[in-house]
Amino acid sequence: MLRGFTRRFKPLELLTQEQAEDIHRATLAVLRETGVHFESEWALEYLKKNGCLVDDAAKLVRFPEGLVEECLRRCPSSYRLKARDPKNDMILGGNTVSFTQAAGMRTIDLDTLEPRAPTRTEYVNYVKILDALPNLHWLNAYPYFGFAGVPPVMCIPEGFALKTRYSSKFAMEGASNGCEVFNIRMAQAAGAEVMSAMGSQPPLSWSGDVILQIRRMIEAGFPIGLSDGNAYGATAPATFAGALAVCNAEIISMIVLVQLLSPGHRIRAGHFAFPQDMRSGSPAFGDIGCSISNIMFNQMWRRYGIPISNGTPGYPSSKSIDYQTGYEKGMAAMLSAISGANMICLHGGVNGELSAHAVQAILDDDIAGMVGRLLAGSEVNDETLALELIEEVGPVPGHYLSKAHTRKWWKSEQYVPAVADRMSYPEWMRTGKKKAIDYAKARMEGLLAAHKPTPLTAEQEQAIDEILEEARQYYRSKGLISESEWTEYAKALEMAG
Amino acid sequence: METDIIENLKKAVLEYNGEQAAHWARAALEAGIEPTRAMDALTAAIRQVGEGFGRGDLWLPDLIGAADAMKAATPILEEEIARRSQSRQTLGTVVIGTVYGDLHDIGKAMVSTLLAAEGFSVQDLGVNVTAEQFLSAIKQHHANVLAMSALLTTTAPEMRKVMHDLQKEGLRDKVRVMVGGGAITQEFANSIGADGYDPTAPGAAGLARRLTGN
Repeated sequence: MLRGFTRRFKPLELLTQEQAEDIHRATLAVLRETGVHFESEWALEYLKKNGCLVDDAAKLVRFPEGLVEECLRRCPSSYRLKARDPKNDMILGGNTVSFTQAAGMRTIDLDTLEPRAPTRTEYVNYVKILDALPNLHWLNAYPYFGFAGVPPVMCIPEGFALKTRYSSKFAMEGASNGCEVFNIRMAQAAGAEVMSAMGSQPPLSWSGDVILQIRRMIEAGFPIGLSDGNAYGATAPATFAGALAVCNAEIISMIVLVQLLSPGHRIRAGHFAFPQDMRSGSPAFGDIGCSISNIMFNQMWRRYGIPISNGTPGYPSSKSIDYQTGYEKGMAAMLSAISGANMICLHGGVNGELSAHAVQAILDDDIAGMVGRLLAGSEVNDETLALELIEEVGPVPGHYLSKAHTRKWWKSEQYVPAVADRMSYPEWMRTGKKKAIDYAKARMEGLLAAHKPTPLTAEQEQAIDEILEEARQYYRSKGLISESEWTEYAKALEMAG
Repeated sequence: METDIIENLKKAVLEYNGEQAAHWARAALEAGIEPTRAMDALTAAIRQVGEGFGRGDLWLPDLIGAADAMKAATPILEEEIARRSQSRQTLGTVVIGTVYGDLHDIGKAMVSTLLAAEGFSVQDLGVNVTAEQFLSAIKQHHANVLAMSALLTTTAPEMRKVMHDLQKEGLRDKVRVMVGGGAITQEFANSIGADGYDPTAPGAAGLARRLTGN
């Protein structure tokens, strides 16, 4: 049994065939005429040798249409992702739909709603909850940017080590300062793959760090998650059609490089684009425009036959666990799922990208469960039409509660939420007027007490310890961990045991 | 005539028209208007836009559009001010940029514009700015404020390097350092020894005033 849901109906589309074709042509025009900036002498040289037009001074690459179309065709339309426990392997692509958590920077205090760095224990507990939730199928980058006491340069490797230790689900990870080298080795030591999360620097640019990371992922044979990250009206046109041409051109430009280097390499096209909030200058998290763009993006990338992820549903604008967070996430997750996204980021995020919490993730797991139920659609056959049963029960006073058919079918036809308030009013009054968030808090405690993640072997544990220690010494020798940071870090590690 | 030119210069900024702003800046010099007076007109116009933004009447595209129009005219006037060895009354000189490895421009551009609207002379180095470029601009423009931005948690550590190099080059006492951007927190600002942090662009402009004793 592989992780994830399956969409069993035709996906939602916003574009006519002609409109989709127009956006494709516009994308090709951006690639051919405007070009994409690559901050890497090596990449410029390599792309030039392979038929691209390169302006060395501007570090700008222009892509011929034939090459673009050929490289898009080389991408596999679906593939397996290897988790450290085979029961958590996933098939990405086609009609599969899976959910993951938002990459929040910090945790929040549930009473004051103030963000702060999590402790190591809070980090571990969050990972355990993510491992336990049934409708979260894999772990995204972070879920927090390190924990208290960890210097910035070690936040990703320390976090990835905790994810590897306390979850056996498939994981994705970001990278900076070359830390993918350590992430790749930790994943290999645990017998898993890790997908990189690599974003363009919009508009139309790729950084040297990301290009180096791509080469390392290819060398390891690991899947590559590419993503845009545009703000419409700021780093892309304010119009969805034009913005999509820019977003698609960014991702496709890197697909060309990857497919030239490693034909058939596993790619995932990620959309993480927002209308720009014209007051604050921040992305307009939770805006319906994110979903309009996701639906259009999904239509285009289903056409290209390349697995898709949508990042925005996981990042609400609301600063608290409230009604606004619920509608922003609920609508966005549903619209992404029914329009063909294969991976959807949803769980845990509060306050844009700035924070995340396990209680929010538990609430979001019910959204994922409901969406998953919808995706399964409804079977129509003799048994589900149940004409014989209807005949048998007949009008009042007949009923279906005692029937074997009901016992067989109701649980798969309904989705029973884990933490929603479904009580009768008197019962609700009697039990203390509890809300969904109260049930979520209780469920968090319950899961932490009961859930035991599949452990690593002693050899795997040791290998991860050694890789982490090597990373610490490497960054210290490079001067990326100052002496004062090192003192605090050493103290945090000692406290963690 | 002079008043018309000055008004047209302001109007060009208020209508986000860089071409017209450059045209009226040149026209001002040709008509014998003091370049410092024309610069003051530009500053008055950008201040008006900044105030409109603060009130909520204008939006980010208005703010950045006006800033770009002002940028089209500023070098023309500054060149003439320098040629005449004149100086302009400002609240100080700010060197601003997004740190190396980070290409995010918007937040930094907002701060840059609002600093100009406050009355600072702003040297905006753009994005992906190395420590060396920051230091060289501070020396060249005799800046008294350094403002650095980083949106990414992964690029924020670059600020620490700039702080280190400022110290090494003996420039730390010459500039007040303010930092901001999505990845920055007050704790981080404290940890690298910055003088100030503010999470919003209008707040950053006020911070620069306070840091320079204005």
